[in-house]
Amino acid sequence: MKNLNRSRLIKRLNRILIYLLVLLAVFLSVAPIVYLLITSFKEPELTFAIPPVWNFTPTWLNYNVVLSSSNFGKYFINSLVIALSATGIALVLGTLAAYGFSRFRFRGHFWLRISTLIPQMLPPITLVVPFYVLFSGLDWIDTLPALIISYLTFTIPLSIWMMIGFFDDVPIELEEAAMIDGCSRFSALIRISLPLVLPGMAATAILGFLYCWNEFLYAVILTGRDARTLPVIITSFMTNRSVHWGRIAASGSLVLIPVLVFALLAQRYLVRGLARGAVKA
Amino acid sequence: MDITSNFTQNRYRQFFRRLEPVFYIGPAFIALIVVLIYPLGYSLWLSFHQWTLRTFRQGVPFVGFQNYIDLFSNPDFLNSLRITFTFVFCAISIEFVLGMGLALLLNHDLKGKNFYRAMILLPMMCTNVVIGLTWRLLLNYQYGLVNYYMGRVGIPPVEWLSSPQVAMASVVLVDVWNTTSFVALMLLAGLQSLPEEPFEAAKIDGASGWQTFFYLTLPLLRPFILVALLWRFIDTFRIFDVIYLLTAGGPARVTETVSIYVYRYGFQSFNLGIAAASSFTMLLIMLVIAGIMARSIGKQD
Repeated sequence: MKNLNRSRLIKRLNRILIYLLVLLAVFLSVAPIVYLLITSFKEPELTFAIPPVWNFTPTWLNYNVVLSSSNFGKYFINSLVIALSATGIALVLGTLAAYGFSRFRFRGHFWLRISTLIPQMLPPITLVVPFYVLFSGLDWIDTLPALIISYLTFTIPLSIWMMIGFFDDVPIELEEAAMIDGCSRFSALIRISLPLVLPGMAATAILGFLYCWNEFLYAVILTGRDARTLPVIITSFMTNRSVHWGRIAASGSLVLIPVLVFALLAQRYLVRGLARGAVKA
Repeated sequence: MDITSNFTQNRYRQFFRRLEPVFYIGPAFIALIVVLIYPLGYSLWLSFHQWTLRTFRQGVPFVGFQNYIDLFSNPDFLNSLRITFTFVFCAISIEFVLGMGLALLLNHDLKGKNFYRAMILLPMMCTNVVIGLTWRLLLNYQYGLVNYYMGRVGIPPVEWLSSPQVAMASVVLVDVWNTTSFVALMLLAGLQSLPEEPFEAAKIDGASGWQTFFYLTLPLLRPFILVALLWRFIDTFRIFDVIYLLTAGGPARVTETVSIYVYRYGFQSFNLGIAAASSFTMLLIMLVIAGIMARSIGKQD
């Protein structure tokens, strides 16, 4: 009897320990992000106060400075246009190709399918060197198409690879039934399978969008003044003379908020996509 | 007459049948050839030529393997390779151990499981630039929270980013924060897909927790572990933005990975021939190692 009580107690303690460790992991994951958000609402004098001040009246000051002084709106639109174009083009091409890989078997099928995974392994620095020279020759440096093209190098393979998995989940019998009823294969795809993989397309689009939105290396090398994206702009608050941490925090938060919203919305699919090899480009 | 025309029609139909996949797969592959294969080929060409700000207007001279020879006699490049491998090894081993622990924790039947998983996912999705800058603030010697709270428990402050002895550890620390969740979530997916029977059998046979872990969980999880490690290898090997924002490769080049080396060589001194050669060397090394890892995954299946 006593023994039983003891083993129950150990089990209880064990469980409490597990919860504590998980909560610690959650805290460590979230704390730096929360800290950034908090800092963005601090008066500049409080940013560097030691000991840190946690009890303060929040101010929009940093946000006002960021939003009014630095063409933030223009660069926000740049980021948006580039990410949406690169994701949209890739989604159309990638969905078609994924459908092809999922439904047809042909010579070289396996190798071609695997080869769509390789671009996701390429170091961006390997591609940015030729891009720089080629776009210089075309006089495309510092234009939106240059960035859209360079982002297609990872959004297309990502879309193909993610969508193959989603198409594999749709039973082929549904399409075959439609084709027996006189549908062409293409209209069977549009009418039957596409609605079924729509959630998958949304997840793919979100992931692709986030990778473009977050990208830094191509953006910093291939743009000058006009075509800059937000990640590059944030670093411009960091000059050699002074570091405006309040502004960095505010602009960082503005960049991060859509990311956090999307990541939480598509959480389940993102985990699945990552498990399938859709890693950060 | 009728029969032959029917025959040719059938041939046509068969021909189009066989071409059908091209209609679906073709556009994406044409796009990939234009945006990916062509630039890669161009980069290879570039790596055999001398492209500098002085030469590029008069047509760049062909120099054979000179760029590659220069590269391997350049101590900075060899240093960056060493730094990259050190970084890859340290970051991946810590991430694997912590990620495994976290996956095992999350594999319990916990209340609010989805919430924890979502929160842990966040660091991985964040904009790298923002991560780099946030940690730069946190690790600041004078004003950073890390040094402040360490001071509160009596640990002397550390020059996280400016001391050559510590900078590598700091960069690894930030990468661990950034991507341990990736390893954890992949391993968690693996844990949840494992069959239950062997674990029940082990329980009946009276195996201890550690025994079950080492003789059952770990071997069964092997394919998932290898895939997670493969992706972490690829990602750490090509890392650029987080390190660039934290230390820019400094102090004294102790955190200058190959990507940062190429950036410095290519886009600060504009020697793009050398930059192409070094980035190609980097790609080759990566593909060889990734290939070996991928093959051992293939063997498992």
